Amino acid sequence: MSDSEEDYMKMTFPPSPPSHTTKSTSTSNPPETSLQRRARLRREAEARSRPKSKSELLAEADRRREAAHATSLLNDPSTSAPSKSKGLAMMAKMGFTGGALGASSATTPTAATEPIRIDIKDGREGIGLESERKRKLREAAEVAGEQVKRARVGEDEYRERVRREREAARWERQVGAAQKVTEGMNEEEAKAGRTLKGVPVVYRGLVRKRVEAERERRMRYDLEQALMRSSKLPGYDDGEEDEDDRRALGKGKTTYVVAEDLDEEDEELEAFEALEPEERLRRVVEYLRREHRYCFWCKCAYPDEDMDGCPGLTEEDHD
Amino acid sequence: MRRLGSQPLDRPASLAAVLRHPQDPPQPPCPPTAQGVPRHVSPTPDPRLRRRDGFRKDDADPPPRRVAAMSVAQRVSQELDVELGQEIGYSIRFENRTGPKTLLKYMTDGQLLRESMHDHDMSRYSCIILDEAHERTLATDILMALLKQIAARRKDLKIIVMSATLDAQKFQSYFYNAPLLAVPGRTHPVEIFYTPEAERDYLEASVRTVLQIHATEPEGDILLFLTGEEEIEDACRRISLEVDDMIRESDAGPMKVYPLYGTLPPAQQQRIFDKAPDALRKGGRPGRKCIVSTNIAETSLTIDGIVYVVDPGFSKQKIYNPRSRVESLLVSPISKASAQQRAGRAGRTRPGKCFRLYTEVAFKKELIEQTYPEILRSNLSNTVLELKKLGVEDLVHFDLMDPPAPETMMRALEELNYLACLDDDGELTRLGSMASEFPLDPALAVMLISSPEFYCSNEILSITSLLSVPQIWVRPNSARKRADEMKALFAHADGDHLTLLNAYHAFKGVEQNGGDPKQWCHEHFLSFRHLSSADNVRAQLKRIMETNEIELMSTPFQDKEYYTNIRRALLTGFFMQVAMRESSNSKVYKTVKDDQLVMIHPGTSVASPYDWVVYNEFVLTTKQYVRTITNIRPEWLLEIAPVYYDLDTFEKGEVKSALTRVAEKIRRRQAIKGGR
Repeated sequence: MSDSEEDYMKMTFPPSPPSHTTKSTSTSNPPETSLQRRARLRREAEARSRPKSKSELLAEADRRREAAHATSLLNDPSTSAPSKSKGLAMMAKMGFTGGALGASSATTPTAATEPIRIDIKDGREGIGLESERKRKLREAAEVAGEQVKRARVGEDEYRERVRREREAARWERQVGAAQKVTEGMNEEEAKAGRTLKGVPVVYRGLVRKRVEAERERRMRYDLEQALMRSSKLPGYDDGEEDEDDRRALGKGKTTYVVAEDLDEEDEELEAFEALEPEERLRRVVEYLRREHRYCFWCKCAYPDEDMDGCPGLTEEDHD
Repeated sequence: MRRLGSQPLDRPASLAAVLRHPQDPPQPPCPPTAQGVPRHVSPTPDPRLRRRDGFRKDDADPPPRRVAAMSVAQRVSQELDVELGQEIGYSIRFENRTGPKTLLKYMTDGQLLRESMHDHDMSRYSCIILDEAHERTLATDILMALLKQIAARRKDLKIIVMSATLDAQKFQSYFYNAPLLAVPGRTHPVEIFYTPEAERDYLEASVRTVLQIHATEPEGDILLFLTGEEEIEDACRRISLEVDDMIRESDAGPMKVYPLYGTLPPAQQQRIFDKAPDALRKGGRPGRKCIVSTNIAETSLTIDGIVYVVDPGFSKQKIYNPRSRVESLLVSPISKASAQQRAGRAGRTRPGKCFRLYTEVAFKKELIEQTYPEILRSNLSNTVLELKKLGVEDLVHFDLMDPPAPETMMRALEELNYLACLDDDGELTRLGSMASEFPLDPALAVMLISSPEFYCSNEILSITSLLSVPQIWVRPNSARKRADEMKALFAHADGDHLTLLNAYHAFKGVEQNGGDPKQWCHEHFLSFRHLSSADNVRAQLKRIMETNEIELMSTPFQDKEYYTNIRRALLTGFFMQVAMRESSNSKVYKTVKDDQLVMIHPGTSVASPYDWVVYNEFVLTTKQYVRTITNIRPEWLLEIAPVYYDLDTFEKGEVKSALTRVAEKIRRRQAIKGGR
């Protein structure tokens, strides 16, 4: 079947032809096979021999004409050498030394030294339209220029902001990581109490967040279950379910116990969270060193209080 | 040549061009004064007065100028009741109607220039009146420079330069502060209107403005200036259609629309003088006429009754750039002086109005003060040859009013050197001297002189004549296909030059067989007028050839070299106008040495152009074309123009490598031949 009578009803799509870029990248990585090279060479030859489009040709012709018109024959080394241009040599013999022709510069001060420019008029635009358009363009460009300037100012600000945000996020992640480490080390304590206030403030935020997330999940789950039960949809109920079944199917009463003081105000935590992430990290790290002789940066615990061998408190010390 | 007698009346002739003041009453001629200056004022304006003729086809609009000097002389001799060619005569190119009794001779500036080639002091004349100097034709500029020189030598010579422009001071100071005599014109005031903003489409705006004038303004004829034939015909069609609607719908008056451009047949040109149509019924709105014209109507032609002028501000102007050697007619903005001239056309009979289709700011800022004189817009190889013949040695310091750009001079000298008209020292060669005898571009003249070497001077003579007149092919919009079919009858697969020749031979055949050539031309979509004028040019050129003892001969038509010889002979003059195809299946050609990209004009009859073509014309529009082409072989270039195609000095590039391969091939072939 030829391309022209394509079957539009059929539901298959022809594989899209491999695009130029994917191929060229594929050839650059693994060594090019001979088939691939042949295909590439053929493609390149086709591109070269492809007749240029009309607009391309026009542009090329214009470019060459303008190029020719822009170079003075008197300055062009290929023609200005007297050996090359006999015309110029003859003129030199008549006393031409550059400048304009004519009896003397006194009588004809306005004599032409350059040929008249050739301006090709395109279409039927009236006189002044182009300059009017140019004026409008210029005005628009001026406005746009101001916007660009403003945008540039904004751009720098934006870069700075992004940088700061990235930095903050990085610190935040470090804080999180340090808190997790701390929590892991304080496992026993965590099991002991069910109040958040019992958790050291340095990682209380972490625990609190988790508990909150858990409660949220639970609540959503309960809601869904409740909806299912209340709906008139036929449910599976064979009447033979025992307690275990019910529990397994999640039909029992939810018995999840959240930290008792979850809903209470926690000023201490708030004060801690309000600190800059850098400061929070520092505190967590200090806490780890104090309580566990563990250096967050060295990633190891030291046997004694001196923590002999740890270069310092901050990340930079460990670089 | 006759020597001048001491008696004033014995002076054979005085040159005069003509003043144009319609209101001046006819005056009897004054007898020549002691200085032998005939004072003369033309009694009536000749509408088509233009003192320019010649063969250079690239004139923006070649109106019936050749008739001008002739008809003025005719009119003056009638008024004075003397026989034309006796006391009053004229001399236009190839036609001289003067005699020993002639006192007053009308001629074109070009003709006076040619005459002075053989009479460097213009000793036959006691007074020279140079009219319409403001037009600043090439010949006028050269003449002024020459007259300035001659005036220094001949104290008895009187020179009157007449210019219609306001920059008379420029002329005055150029001519050693000669006395200035202002002759006020009698014109009525003209109110000028500008558009509030620039127009997107001036043609559209022109049509709209004309219709608006017709709908709202009182009686009076309209003159609209456009740039060329096609545009003018288009505008005429659109205006006529709209007016018909206006008559039907809103009881507008009738309006006749007439086109006017140089290549229009004289009978149709004459129609612009028809009276405006009457009102459609008694008491109805008065009719008017609208003339849509090129800039012929700007200065050289006066139409009474014009009250409204519509000026979009453009005209076609010849332009030449020596850097690319591009010479072409381009639509360009007019000058302020030109715009004023156009406006003035509205005030000839009564106060008028001029509608400029651009803003006042654009008028002030965009338009140049004066139109560039022709000398700055032309290829000067012909002029330089003439000047050499006129004995001007130092072209660099030649005192022209507006000296051309040095590069233009350099190109002209270079081209003449390649054509072997000037030797390396800039001296006129025998060939150059002979070429200057022909009223042709040097390339054509050289081709003609060299044609006997190729046994085809008859054919080259015909081709030269055909290239010296406007296009002989008629291609009306209504019958393009038919016209193309007819042209195909004459088509020669190897060249448009040969197609032209075929058409000319067919035309002559009809004449010889007693057919009606006019009818035949009409049927075959050929211009009888232009073919006849080519025939006339041919006869004139033939005479010059005979004077110069250039043999007229033909290769027998049966000979298979018949057309090849002609194609080779073309190269003797046009080897600098050759284009090479960019790549084998491309439509794009590259001109040799100038490196310009061109396409072959779609009007060609060459079915399969070769890789190398010679062209007659470079046409620059938004695209670049070569027109009238003929297939050639690159070997011929090396053989016929070895200096121009000297591979040692040729600039590196595709053309050079192609030619090098050709040279190699020739060498191999010769080696094989030599080995045998």
